[in-house]
Amino acid sequence: MSTKNTDVLIVGSGIAGMQAALDIGDSGLNAVIVEKSPSIGGKMISLSKVFPTLDCASCITTPKMAASSHHPRVDIYTYTEVKEIKKVSDGFEAVIIKKPRFVIESECISCKKCEEVCPVYVKDEFEYGLGVKKAISIPFTNAIPQFPVLDESKCIRCGACARVCPKDCIDYLQKPEEINIKSKAVIISTGYEITPMDAKKEYNGTKLPNVISSLQAERLLAPHGPYGKFLRPSDGKIPDSIAYVQCAGSRDESIGIPYCSRVCCMYAIKQAMLLSGMLPLSEITIYYMDIRAFGKGYEQFYNQARAMGINFVKAKVAKITEDEEHNPILRIDRQEDGSKPQEVKHDIVVLSQGLVPSTKNFFGLELEINEYGFINQPQKTLSPAKTNIEGVFVAGVASGPKDIPDTIMEAGSAAVEVINYVKSVKVGS
Amino acid sequence: MKVNTKFIKEVKKYGAFDISACFNCGNCTAVCPLSKEDSSFPRKMIRYAQVGAEDKIESSLEPWMCYYCGECSDTCPRQAYPGEFMMSLRRYLISRYDATGLSKFFYMNSWAQNILVIGIFLVSLIFFISYNGDFQELAAKIELAFPAYVTLAIFMYVFTMYKKTILDKSKKFLFSFDFSNIKETLIHGLTQKNFSGCSETDWTRWIAHLLVMSGYTLTLIISNLHLLEPLKKHYGLLDITTPLVFYAAFGIIAGGFVMMGRRFLKKIQSSKFSHPTDWLFVAMLFLIGISTLTTYILNMAMGPDAEAVAISYKINIAIEVAWIIIIVPFTKWIHIFFRPMAIYLYNLKKEKQLA
Repeated sequence: MSTKNTDVLIVGSGIAGMQAALDIGDSGLNAVIVEKSPSIGGKMISLSKVFPTLDCASCITTPKMAASSHHPRVDIYTYTEVKEIKKVSDGFEAVIIKKPRFVIESECISCKKCEEVCPVYVKDEFEYGLGVKKAISIPFTNAIPQFPVLDESKCIRCGACARVCPKDCIDYLQKPEEINIKSKAVIISTGYEITPMDAKKEYNGTKLPNVISSLQAERLLAPHGPYGKFLRPSDGKIPDSIAYVQCAGSRDESIGIPYCSRVCCMYAIKQAMLLSGMLPLSEITIYYMDIRAFGKGYEQFYNQARAMGINFVKAKVAKITEDEEHNPILRIDRQEDGSKPQEVKHDIVVLSQGLVPSTKNFFGLELEINEYGFINQPQKTLSPAKTNIEGVFVAGVASGPKDIPDTIMEAGSAAVEVINYVKSVKVGS
Repeated sequence: MKVNTKFIKEVKKYGAFDISACFNCGNCTAVCPLSKEDSSFPRKMIRYAQVGAEDKIESSLEPWMCYYCGECSDTCPRQAYPGEFMMSLRRYLISRYDATGLSKFFYMNSWAQNILVIGIFLVSLIFFISYNGDFQELAAKIELAFPAYVTLAIFMYVFTMYKKTILDKSKKFLFSFDFSNIKETLIHGLTQKNFSGCSETDWTRWIAHLLVMSGYTLTLIISNLHLLEPLKKHYGLLDITTPLVFYAAFGIIAGGFVMMGRRFLKKIQSSKFSHPTDWLFVAMLFLIGISTLTTYILNMAMGPDAEAVAISYKINIAIEVAWIIIIVPFTKWIHIFFRPMAIYLYNLKKEKQLA
């Protein structure tokens, strides 16, 4: 087992992890990022645009990805899981497991020949199951690093990729590799997952083809998305009427997630705006309990959406069913002029799901977490990056739902805290 | 209309809901399979209660349209228990429609009702046991007095309900003689078919309720028409009363057993929160079923002259006396009439286009 020494270990390479790594690297310290997916970039690289500026998400994320991967003092392990992190006398010892890509990374020139000849199609995780990719493929166009990954469970071992590879770097026998990382401090930036599609059973999220997740909608809206257009999954029709169901995965005691996820109102408004640009003739309706537009420029963004003709209907959607043509039917209580229970039909429905923590146990670290699994910040007001363990810092959604600007600010704050901490430890020891 | 924030506290005394948590998202109304465009609940009712629109609530038929399947409480994002709120509204309305004010007193002080029931039972029983005359004759008189008393009570309730929901608005007496309305009212009253309106029909609840309801109605007919004379006649298997009594008792005992069990287990929303008056209601029904059946079986086995038959019969009549005097006119019992009435009045409103 090889061992690597560094100043700071960062778990997760989303926008929080990358920002912290860049700040730490620029200060002269060394950082190691460990990322479980095959590419860095986190959730943000898969988004279409960001609110409230409507900047292209990948145009912001890609430079950060490139900067982190080329930074002389930042080392990145992708496709690598953290097995455990232990606090020791002079810092932390982590065991990480580098999963096999079945490709010799030092040899690969990212020519994509293996991907071209591979006969097996699998669901594309990066497109949240909407598109397909090959069983051996580079995760997505602007992935970093540009190494293909072979999906061992789907590969039929035909050998086509191995035969075509000009560098002879396909290795079917690669094994997981354990690496020891010794660091002085740790930043947890593990981020979030969206609430599962089946969290609220009344919405039939996993059963109805035209009820999609908000991240799937992001991909449909992205210029390099799976279909290149906003089409509904069941029959490829361009939808005439699109509905957003707010609070589909948070602020709901009945699914055990009573907290507000803070981003769903804004991303739904953003998606609706993008949609009305993309499909100017379509009707877009947002069903909400109340709109929480709290950040800088958010209220203006919301008012702009109203002015653009997006329908905002105050009603919590109670049930989603469908007709024989897979048109989703929403049941709501229409509150204008009294109260009328009604069924409304749309072509496609996007569930505005909430954010839940991406990991339950933080690698054996005895971190205090709240009842929903987010890391507690004992000094939330003055030092939001600090956790209950000295030397372990937190950045981004791992400590609670937040938007991208807040995440980046927290990451910067975590970086400064970590730099101070590492330097003080140096002086002390 | 004036906002009255105290109103919600008043209704809260009738049940365990938390509508101050409600932010009016309307999930309850949308998920409710019985809520209709022209008869929408629970959200509208919750809103009325939040602002204290007492008149609006008192003139509403919606509380009686709710069969408490509990889907609203199950899916409420705020755990405000809208289903239990509707149940509390029904209790509240019973109190409001009761001119004597005793229903309210019993709802607020359920111990008083329990004590009165036990007291009246004991007093009647002691009186019956010490009675030297022909007890069968006395029982006949008591049983024949029941209908007069009950009819008076029902009339009071039905008239208040009619007044609050129709008369106060129309200012004149309106009636619907539409055959389909009368038919619908009767069908709903006899079958409680709205129980099947919930997205997953709770068959156990429906059947248990039907058993109790039909068994009880039969008991009512048997006793009010004074069909049973266990101290005079010796009943056998072939008597016409035998299947009647057995069905009535079986219905009440089996149905009552299931209902009590569910209230005890608290698995289903509708049986999670029991008001003490609910317990008294099912427990007394249960006792009526058991005492009637015991008397009848003892009579069949030992003949009308046996001492055991007399005692059992006296207990039976004493229970019925307590039941009729204290429970029937007050609290839960009257919902038997309000539910079909609400359907009749709802159709009447539609027919006469009363908003």
